[in-house]
Amino acid sequence: MPISQTHTNANALEVRGIGKRFGGFWAVQDINLTVQPGERRAILGPNGAGKTSLFNVLTGDTPATAGTISLFGTNVTREPINKRIQRGVRRTYQHAHLFNGLTVRETLFLAVAGVRGGWRQVLPLRHNDARLTEAERLAEVAGVTDVLEREVSELSHGQRRQLEIGIALAEDPKILLLDEPAAGLSPAERPKLSALLMALPKDVTVVLIEHDMEIALQTSESVSVLYNGRLLAEGSPKDIMQNEEVHRVYIGGAHGH
Amino acid sequence: MRPAVVLLPLLALPLLLNDFWLTQVATRALILGVMALSLSFLATYLGVVSFAQATMAGVAGYTMAYFGPNTVGLGVPLPFWVTIPIALALATVSGALVGLIARRSRGIYAIMITLAIGVAFFYFTRQNYTFFNGWTGFSGVRAPEIAGISLRDPLPLYLLSLATAGLALALVSGFVRSPLGLTIQAVRDAPGRVLALGISVTTPIVAAFAFSGFLAGAGGILNVWYQERISSFSVGLGPIIDILIISVIGGLRHPAGAFVGAVVFVLLDTFAVDLIDRERFNTLIGCVLLLIVVVAPGGLHQLGADWIARLRSPDAKSKSSVRANS
Repeated sequence: MPISQTHTNANALEVRGIGKRFGGFWAVQDINLTVQPGERRAILGPNGAGKTSLFNVLTGDTPATAGTISLFGTNVTREPINKRIQRGVRRTYQHAHLFNGLTVRETLFLAVAGVRGGWRQVLPLRHNDARLTEAERLAEVAGVTDVLEREVSELSHGQRRQLEIGIALAEDPKILLLDEPAAGLSPAERPKLSALLMALPKDVTVVLIEHDMEIALQTSESVSVLYNGRLLAEGSPKDIMQNEEVHRVYIGGAHGH
Repeated sequence: MRPAVVLLPLLALPLLLNDFWLTQVATRALILGVMALSLSFLATYLGVVSFAQATMAGVAGYTMAYFGPNTVGLGVPLPFWVTIPIALALATVSGALVGLIARRSRGIYAIMITLAIGVAFFYFTRQNYTFFNGWTGFSGVRAPEIAGISLRDPLPLYLLSLATAGLALALVSGFVRSPLGLTIQAVRDAPGRVLALGISVTTPIVAAFAFSGFLAGAGGILNVWYQERISSFSVGLGPIIDILIISVIGGLRHPAGAFVGAVVFVLLDTFAVDLIDRERFNTLIGCVLLLIVVVAPGGLHQLGADWIARLRSPDAKSKSSVRANS
């Protein structure tokens, strides 16, 4: 069921006053974000700044405690994650929890079937099923074609990250939320990932959490910096580089390690 | 190729066995195996252990009794080809209902909820006389006669049970490769992630339980024809635990384990009287269970598969461990 209707003038993502509380602790508080269609936005912040909590609220993995979220002009604050997926939201997870008992092909098939429909089908899959063909195309884009038949539990860390991206690219995503896609990758695997991200269609909105400041500043047009659950600064990579407050809380802290 | 290797000897079995062995051991093991298969399916592919499989089988059995020939003068006799689809449908619905109730539970909580449902059904059948005839239940529930062949006779009942078991296994192996079957396995591995693919989690869980209800129902129909009676004792704690024991002995990691477990269980049940006192059956089966859990947590099916793999390539194991270490 196609719920999404794109309002041409609407922002891809509009977040007003978003907060997420766990018990008495606000993981994120009073966040405002506006992301234009096609924009590449990086979310920066030290460990524990609330980046992943913010993502979980944006995608609907966990409900927001306060505030509103709009996608392409539609208020989705109360929608569960499976509805937001239908609107074109996709995400990757920092700690990939994938389907260990399924093969790469089956996983990508489900990613396609989840959006396109037909996962309720009870008859065995035909080899020429259009959704399987699409799954194979995704595997090629994500670079996991050579392990198509392998069970996910047997994949290397890098392959799992690539599979994550393949899942997120299923069925024309409109907005991609990538949670530290490069984390834990070997130096050899990193360029592959960057190339993959650079090759994304220009009309796809990308919001990227990246712990590594240099990667984040290289790949993004705009940066939002989180600190202690609040928005500290926002601007172009150049602005952020020169922002003294950011230097003090983040870069200074990172150098202190 | 593999199914034929197993099926051919089983087809030839009646030539070797007398009626006692055929009925008391082979047929009974197949019927219990089908019921246990409904549990191993859930455990293997949804990752949930249900104690309500005897209930689902009982729903089918009671349906056969109520709408079939019986000697208690209760119910509406219908031809068997009408009753069988009704019984399977009701068992499937009962499975779906259990799934709907237990859909948010995992592990010990799923066990407790399904156990509660099973025990509630047991007491309900004892107290309800309109449909279940209370404590005494139904007797004289005879298997029908088709084209002059009575399904009560040992050979036809054995072949019917064998066909049902084979069909049930084939259904399971086909179903788990369907998109819905894959979704069920995905729910087992990471339910939150399934939701993040745009897929609801309730439907696959309820569907898995409904399918297991269908399998249990097929076993329940055979069982009521085999026993020729059904009562509250057929859905009580005894059968509930028997099904669990069979599945664990066989192994909860592969559906076919249910039949391996059933054969062991039936052999012990039949010949425990010769080994030790009949009263000590529970002690014996308890020890066997303990042994399995300690020595072969994957069940006998897994143990056998490991042995075969080791015989085929004796150094395979050491090789694989070396690779894991490097």
